[in-house]
Amino acid sequence: MVRVEKVEFKPVGVRDLLIEMKDLSELMIDLAYSAALFDSPALAEEVMEMESHIDTLTYLLNMNLMVAARDADDAESLVGVTKVAGATNKISDAAADIAAIVLQGIGIHPIIREAFEKVEERLTRVNVRPNSILVGKQLGELELAAKMGVDIIGIRRNKRWIINPEEDEVIREGDVLIVRGAPKGIEEIEGVAKGTIRKLED
Amino acid sequence: MASQELFKKIVDMMVELKDTSELMLDLAYSSILLNSKELAEEVQALEEHVDKLHTDFELLVLSAGIPSEESKNFLGLIRIGVVTENIADAAAQIAEVVLREIKPHPVLALAIEQAEETVVRVQVSKMSSLIGKTLREAQVHEETGMWVLVVRRGGRWVRPSPDLRIHAGDVLIASGYAEGEEDLKKLASPENYSST
Repeated sequence: MVRVEKVEFKPVGVRDLLIEMKDLSELMIDLAYSAALFDSPALAEEVMEMESHIDTLTYLLNMNLMVAARDADDAESLVGVTKVAGATNKISDAAADIAAIVLQGIGIHPIIREAFEKVEERLTRVNVRPNSILVGKQLGELELAAKMGVDIIGIRRNKRWIINPEEDEVIREGDVLIVRGAPKGIEEIEGVAKGTIRKLED
Repeated sequence: MASQELFKKIVDMMVELKDTSELMLDLAYSSILLNSKELAEEVQALEEHVDKLHTDFELLVLSAGIPSEESKNFLGLIRIGVVTENIADAAAQIAEVVLREIKPHPVLALAIEQAEETVVRVQVSKMSSLIGKTLREAQVHEETGMWVLVVRRGGRWVRPSPDLRIHAGDVLIASGYAEGEEDLKKLASPENYSST
């Protein structure tokens, strides 16, 4: 049996919901292709989590839209929002289909790997351990882009994702970071998050 | 065993499907942001193109003479093809909102603008230093931080291959962080960079 979350109405800004859905769905495409390319079940699982989160957001968004529509004019202009939100949901389903290729052990043909490997960038998912030097630091002060050539493009904290986090976002123990960067930097950030690397080199 | 040549063709089509589906998404969101029927129609045209391409892709994969021990690998390929088509459909669904002449709700533009990346459309004026350069030579990304998604020339949309030479009157549609917008406008129409 698949577990589905109960969704209760709560008033949430339609704009914020839509931004979250759009950003998440785009991140998911990148993550899913990376998962397939590097045969990474960890990334694929992340995509699956995001997919079910977007399903929940879709319900919430539609509920809020229904409450927002007061007359025929409102209904006419709001229907476009449901269509766009529906499209982000469709995109997230598509990304999940790619992730499923990995999780079902189907794999993709090595020739595809060669074709995409020209791209130097990698994506990874890292858990921030309690003893990591990242804990308690603001993203801005870490200067990860300058020091390691990596960017944190998303943070999962409990059941929420922060997409494209701001400079003043503080990293907490237990955060799951989605990181983009060159292979060498990716290796470093994995060590730093694990706590095996205790110092950021310049 | 399928021939090397056939493999290469399969990969090329796969890459084209993936790139086109992602380009369509960018164009579809832009069509809403700019309330542009032109862009929306382009997305619809690309959707038909992807449908056709996807069929050709599947036929090609099926004709590859797949040995049974490789069938799983090829199944993965076929599934990714389906995914690109689904993404193309989603893009068409977004663009359709514009074509239905539904007045886009302001919240849509807000949500798209609020996203970290923005999409801009600039026309290359006669004064631009870009004229006559290929996209590779023009180094638009290095100069402005913006990536050219597609070039509109006359009534056609041209894919931005590195060898594409920029003409006066070309319209560049580019995405990137908002800070690069001004730089790109300056580059494309130096005499009047505050207008598009």
